Amino acid sequence: MRAADALLLPVFALLALVPFSFGDFTAYQLSLFILYGIVGQGIALCWGRVGILPLGQAMFFGLGAYLGGGALIWAEGNWALLLPCLVLAILLPALLAGLVALVVFRRQTGSGPFFSLITLALSMLTYQIALTASDLTGGFNGLTGIPPLPGTDPWGNLYWVILGTLLVTTLGTTWVLRAPIGTLWSAVAQNEARLSFLGYNVAGLKALAFAGSAALAALAGALYASQQGIVSPQTLGYVLSGELLIWTAVGGRQTVLGPVVGAILIGFLSSELRDGFALWEVLLAAIFIGVVLLMPQGLGGLAKPLLDKLSRNRETPARDVIIPLSDAPSQPDLSFSDVEVTMGSVHILRGLSFDMKDPGLHCVIGPNGAGKTSSFNALSGLLPVSRGAIHWNGRDVTGRLPHQVARLGIARKLQVPMIFHDLSVADHLNIANWAQNLTVRDALRPVGFRRRNEMMDELFTLFPFLRDEQKTAGALSLGHRQMLEFAMSVMNKPTLVLLDEPCAGLSKLETTEMTSAIARMRERFGISALIVEHDFSVVETLSDHIYVLHQGQLLAEGTLDQIRANADVQAVYAGGSK
Amino acid sequence: MSEPLLKLDRISTGYGDLTVLRDIFLTVAAGEVLCITGRNGVGKTTLMRLISGVLPPQSGSIAMNGQDIAPLEPHARQHIGLSYAPQDSVTFAPLTLRENLTLHHKDHSLDRYQGLFRRFPRIEERLGQVAGTLSGGERKILAFCRVMAEGGSLLCLDEPTEGVQPENISHMAEEIRAAAEAGRGIVVVEQNLSLIEQAADRVIVIDHGEIVHQTRNGPDMRAEILEKLKV
Amino acid sequence: MQEAIVFSLNVSYGIISLALLVLGLAIIFGLLGVLNMAHGELVAIGAYTAWAVQSAGLPLLLALPVAAVAAGAIGWLMEITIIRHLYRRPFDTLLATWGISILLREAIKLCFGLEYKSVIEPVGGSITILGADYPTYRIWLMVAVVLGFVGLFLWYRRSHAGTRVRAMVANPMLASAVGIETAKLARRAFVLGAASAGLAGCLMAPLIRIDPYMGVDYLLSSFFVLVVGGLGSLQGVFIGSGVIGGAETAASTILGGTGGYVTVLVISILFLWLKPGGLYARR
Repeated sequence: MRAADALLLPVFALLALVPFSFGDFTAYQLSLFILYGIVGQGIALCWGRVGILPLGQAMFFGLGAYLGGGALIWAEGNWALLLPCLVLAILLPALLAGLVALVVFRRQTGSGPFFSLITLALSMLTYQIALTASDLTGGFNGLTGIPPLPGTDPWGNLYWVILGTLLVTTLGTTWVLRAPIGTLWSAVAQNEARLSFLGYNVAGLKALAFAGSAALAALAGALYASQQGIVSPQTLGYVLSGELLIWTAVGGRQTVLGPVVGAILIGFLSSELRDGFALWEVLLAAIFIGVVLLMPQGLGGLAKPLLDKLSRNRETPARDVIIPLSDAPSQPDLSFSDVEVTMGSVHILRGLSFDMKDPGLHCVIGPNGAGKTSSFNALSGLLPVSRGAIHWNGRDVTGRLPHQVARLGIARKLQVPMIFHDLSVADHLNIANWAQNLTVRDALRPVGFRRRNEMMDELFTLFPFLRDEQKTAGALSLGHRQMLEFAMSVMNKPTLVLLDEPCAGLSKLETTEMTSAIARMRERFGISALIVEHDFSVVETLSDHIYVLHQGQLLAEGTLDQIRANADVQAVYAGGSK
Repeated sequence: MSEPLLKLDRISTGYGDLTVLRDIFLTVAAGEVLCITGRNGVGKTTLMRLISGVLPPQSGSIAMNGQDIAPLEPHARQHIGLSYAPQDSVTFAPLTLRENLTLHHKDHSLDRYQGLFRRFPRIEERLGQVAGTLSGGERKILAFCRVMAEGGSLLCLDEPTEGVQPENISHMAEEIRAAAEAGRGIVVVEQNLSLIEQAADRVIVIDHGEIVHQTRNGPDMRAEILEKLKV
Repeated sequence: MQEAIVFSLNVSYGIISLALLVLGLAIIFGLLGVLNMAHGELVAIGAYTAWAVQSAGLPLLLALPVAAVAAGAIGWLMEITIIRHLYRRPFDTLLATWGISILLREAIKLCFGLEYKSVIEPVGGSITILGADYPTYRIWLMVAVVLGFVGLFLWYRRSHAGTRVRAMVANPMLASAVGIETAKLARRAFVLGAASAGLAGCLMAPLIRIDPYMGVDYLLSSFFVLVVGGLGSLQGVFIGSGVIGGAETAASTILGGTGGYVTVLVISILFLWLKPGGLYARR
């Protein structure tokens, strides 16, 4: 991101020179491509950052254009009337986008093709409406006779308005991406599940990004109405949507200026070649396929190493803020009553019932397939419960979404460490911190804050490798990944942490580190744990109380000695090595 | 000296940039049963995935009868005589038992299973049923039957006894011994000591991605393994 | 009475023709997990083939094999050059096939121009059923499609090859371990899906508008059917076609074309929200 700074000045200086060097017609053409580039910036935000691919982005561009055009006609040059209408022309499409994304993503994890096709379908729908509702939109011929913004001339000074807008969107996007919200968006793209286990509403984060991209598109659309003086249904259509995507891909979806460069470059090439060179459109599609396959970062990716050399890396230091730990009750009260979970024809949990009311370290053991991990999944909302109920502090929490369960003070660490591969250790600690302490204002401020309190001090003592904050998580060993994820889970002092084989794949030394960390968290912060474990040496060190699961039911519970003496448990483990 | 049936030489492997197994050396001769044991999550299943070709090696070499099989995909390894039953998803759940047992044989014949059906009559009784309706242990038996009758020279079984009743575990052990007598090499990842005692020639204990102990089957074996597993 | 018969024939025709058009997408998505964004363009290629064969003065029946081979060949090219490198990267598959759809569309524009084409029905006239007249070609089409689906269903459930395909879908890793060459099987499935899209376009050619931009409509309606019916089973294709085709026919009658489209879109979004697996979830 820092690399983009180096580019900012020369790019804008060049663009400012265009009207003087190439004349007003070129500037007029250029301003159209810049508007498309602004839409591309929004696409890049969703696609390059959050990992959701909008295929019908022209819809918001067109909506902005129709609304903006209508406002320009209606206000008849009166700024006082025009301004609120223009604001609405940007906000309404953003609101629509946010709503659609919330609905689609609420129960869909991942960013598969569904969302993309729904956006495409919506763009087709608005196109249909624009064609048929001719009283409102002018039908096939479009909305005509739109005056430019008062005091501007599309062939003259409107260029400066558009260039100024680009400067604002570029700086604004860069700013937001460097703020905590930008880090969270990157985290969404890398590991949604981890975020929801920390208590983040991932659907909300995605909806926010999509709404932001729609706002950018609508802003560009409103200016387009002013610049072109006519808005036709084609501005909403899927053909333009496709072109916008190509420009963004070629320019570089992970940079802020890349999409603008892509739009300008291909825009001018197209206007030169479209008529003379019959194969141009086919060639362009082929170039797009080539970029997808061979050069996913587009031109921006090519320029990046060069820019990195040019720019000095100025890391803005995060503020250290002392935020005391919450005084959440450390008394867990969990009960499973007759819980059944079925997947297809397989019964995973068959009436599992147990109570956990004492603070402490509780282990869950049982042979493979006993339903240990599944009971965790049922609790944290990953598996649908077909019968029975789960209560937490007396409240029925059956069927809640993962982030809702997390906010009740039930943290979770999965068996395979879940980390954000490309983010730094510092980012991980921050993301875990922000889960409960992020105000809207802080979320949008690039200078992040780091929490310092006794928990952070303790974690740094237990896991010294965390001090190497700039290291990317992908470069950590398996053991360190496990520990990093554990640190994230306990960061906000949950009442209960669910640990699924926390020592799987760890060396003996690391196993000791991990078990003493779990014990230390219990001792110093009163964090209770429910631990699935196969390694009896770990069970011996950690368990105040043991639950034995077998075939989706509770077989026995008690202290280690009671369990060892239990005949049923011995029968299950008979002949086994443990 | 003739080439061993299977030879892994300083193999390392893992998932993505993680290395789960480091510098594994092992051989299996024709007519030999090698059991691999260890705690959960130490890399046993990863080793089986490597041998079967599901997971590529990060370094080192893997050879069958002296032939480098690293570039071969699982289906190509099956064609040269490697039969494999994975640990999870051991069956084609929506297919019937009959289809599960015959789909990879050109003649669709169940004749080759007659001996196994006598050992495990439950399978024959349910041939028309869909595999998804079986219990975990029955699925394991189904997969076991498939591998034993496949006709390969190297049989790889990943935790075949998981969820299986004790008497059927003994039947499995007998089948494994019989296959070894017939000159086939068998690799079994197993945590169940009774199967290991009944079937193994040699045992390897894996911990934290490395081989920590090797021993031959004998009176002291159980104690040795338990010591290594620290129970 | 006559109106009721014509109406029910219309609904049946709507559902059956939709099922025919969906099939290619359903095969590729259901068996391989690839959402082929170029599906609509493959349908278009089938339709253009019918037009080309007819304008060359050849019998339209000849267009069927030509369309299947043309679309299948394009599918084969797509698979070996692009798709097979991307099976584990669904996002890139989506983009790449989207790029291919643009490429095919532009190629069609280049070869056939922008104007609408029309294909004359090979069998004209109408048949009288219970006193109601209905176009002969539509009746034949419905019969042929239903027979084709029954045949395909039997092949999938009963034949040796069908069993191997089902095995690959259920458990690709195990399929490979028992010696099935899944890469080859996947390529064949892709080609089959592409060819059936071409065939659908060819069969529908006399009844639909043919222009370079026709593809996206068929992509989206096929996608809606998959969302509602559940991904990747023949039963799901028919159930989804029933819901989507029925809703669209009914809503269009009452609310007009745009209303029909809105209804279908809203139904699909509701399904994604409330029942993401569709009505006939395979897994």
